Amino acid sequence: MSRNKWFIAVLLMGVALLSVVSVLAQDGTVAYNSYASDPLPRAFDEKIVAMWNEQHPDMQVQHSIINHEDFKQAIRAYLLAEPAPDVLTWFAGNRARFFIDRGLIMDFSDAWQAEGFDDVYAPGFNALATVNEGKYFLPTSYYWWAVYYRPSLFEKAGIEKAPETFDELLGVCESLNAAGITPFTIGARFRWPAAAWFDYLNMRTNGPEFHINLMLLQESYLDDRVKATFANWRKLLDAGCFVEDPAALDWQEAVDDMVQERAAMYLMGAFITDSYPDELEEDLDFFRFPIIDPAIPVGEDAPTDGYFIAAQARNPEGAKAFLAFLGSKDVQQMAFEELGRLPTRTDVDISQAEPATQQGIQLIQSADYVAQFYDRDTTPAMAEAGMDGFMRFWDNPDDIDTILQDLENERLRILEEEAQ
Amino acid sequence: MAATLKAGRLPGASSKRRRMNWTPYLFLLLPLALYFVWIIAPTFYTIYLSLTNWNGVDPIPGFVGLQNFERLFTKDRTFSEALLNNVRWLVVFITIPTTLGLGLAMIFNNEMRGGRWYKISFYSPLVMSLPVIGLIWGWVYHPRAGLLNGFLQAIGVADPPGWLGDRDLAIWAVIIAAVWRQVGYVMVLYLAGLKNIDPSFVDAARVDGANRWQLFRHVILPLLAPVTTIIVVISIIDSLRAFDLVSIMTRGAQDTQVLANFMYIEAFNNYRMGYGAAIAVVLFAISLIFIGFYLSRVIRDELEY
Repeated sequence: MSRNKWFIAVLLMGVALLSVVSVLAQDGTVAYNSYASDPLPRAFDEKIVAMWNEQHPDMQVQHSIINHEDFKQAIRAYLLAEPAPDVLTWFAGNRARFFIDRGLIMDFSDAWQAEGFDDVYAPGFNALATVNEGKYFLPTSYYWWAVYYRPSLFEKAGIEKAPETFDELLGVCESLNAAGITPFTIGARFRWPAAAWFDYLNMRTNGPEFHINLMLLQESYLDDRVKATFANWRKLLDAGCFVEDPAALDWQEAVDDMVQERAAMYLMGAFITDSYPDELEEDLDFFRFPIIDPAIPVGEDAPTDGYFIAAQARNPEGAKAFLAFLGSKDVQQMAFEELGRLPTRTDVDISQAEPATQQGIQLIQSADYVAQFYDRDTTPAMAEAGMDGFMRFWDNPDDIDTILQDLENERLRILEEEAQ
Repeated sequence: MAATLKAGRLPGASSKRRRMNWTPYLFLLLPLALYFVWIIAPTFYTIYLSLTNWNGVDPIPGFVGLQNFERLFTKDRTFSEALLNNVRWLVVFITIPTTLGLGLAMIFNNEMRGGRWYKISFYSPLVMSLPVIGLIWGWVYHPRAGLLNGFLQAIGVADPPGWLGDRDLAIWAVIIAAVWRQVGYVMVLYLAGLKNIDPSFVDAARVDGANRWQLFRHVILPLLAPVTTIIVVISIIDSLRAFDLVSIMTRGAQDTQVLANFMYIEAFNNYRMGYGAAIAVVLFAISLIFIGFYLSRVIRDELEY
């Protein structure tokens, strides 16, 4: 009989342990899930949380850092869980809108008003935070995309200035190839860097308005304007502008081609400098993606990141307090100084900024339209099919008609699903 | 065996048995409850989801009948690509690791200097998790700095391929990484099988004048047949659930899609839970054939590993 007693004792201990765990989870902590998994952002994220925890011993933040790609796929599970994590990192624009429309994101207008964010957040970002008069998303930083290049390699190939038009860009490709330097490196193993090429070529060929309508699935992928975009892309491929086997490298591995002077340019986000050796950054500059049609407005990719509170958060008051901290001037100032993240608040002191940063801010401010990036502007399923199509086009440009037909089929399928 | 056990049972055991009878069920209660909650119920829920267009967020999934399956089998090109890749994986998996593993087991079954060390080194990939193997092979296949192309360039190949970036090669490159891991596993299973062979059979064959090949072909291989069956079935199941390496090495890009990764992307990236569930059901149905065969075989042969 003693064996049964043992069994019951173990069972009871298990039950007791479970209840202790759930009691622990119900005190005043704030659960914060973050996708800052790259080394520099990760260190910064941990530092910010440590600062908060030091100031608020009675309201500790429980910090979980999840791999960036995995986070994107797990977020629905997080938001549907009860309780959900309190505060989460996320992307502005369509990606946030999807969850807001489904009631999964908490309106924090009261905290926004209390902190006086209306006065300090730049109007464009204020608009990104707002849906139907409510504040749902706290945009805290953005970064620009541009063509990064090594001036020393341009010099070696006898190129005098950065290209401003498409023809000049083709000329640059020719000169670099003649000098034995690959013009563009790209690491498209996980495909998204190729989407930047589509974004820019489409915005430069057809203008940002057509681009965003295409992203919203309101234009057809069989449209002649889309074909014109791919025709321009084809010109670059035929001119030998790109590194061989782009799909064999991930984006960071492709940076090595620039570091080791095999390639001169990389169409990349400003976060490229995180992966670029500091001692070589002297010889790293960027220029605006060349203009194809001077008659149309200029669009740029400037993805904006930020935070929100889950609708099913366990500790809404704590979450709002922590969110206010994340959106505070001090944190943005630190993020700006330590990571070079561009602030969304107008009261952050940027006078100490390097010329490159000033140049980046100017790049975005002088743009007529700011897009969020292909996989953020369009729906996830369309982005998946689109990026697959871009890579198929890259390998077999002759298949463009089949590829566009597949993309159009996907678009129609998504529209049908949304109508159901 | 059973007869020996029965004869050897201690007197008095049967009187104790009546009193203890309910205990096994008590112990089974918790595992069975967990098994029901985590395995049985989700299986049926997945089958239900496969008949809906649930997007993972809406409170009530919309019922669409067999529409998901119709699309899978008639319209979806990625599905046929993934299915084909699983078949490729399967064919490679039941041939190459099985042959290599058997060969290695035959070699290492003999006492040899450092034999244990060799066995461990062939078995060690199995100890590593699949994502780690995916990362390592990702570096091996690196087009410029990788081990493979470094070697090819050293022996004078001017333009070595881009492996994971090459649509014709990528899926084979991923499968080879999986084979590398599987060989050691098969080897260990065969080694265990070889140890179980009664030496008197081998001795008898030798006395009858069989040469090494005849000994292997007509004595050892038939005696290993039960192990071979299990290895083949395990290889089939492993190749059907292939996911980790594809997810880590290519995320299904460059024509390397497999069913499990395709399901994951449709469900958790594209948020088509219903459609993802339909892929899972197809995968489940295919696996069920082999699992059923495996189970019937195991139960019949009463093999214990």
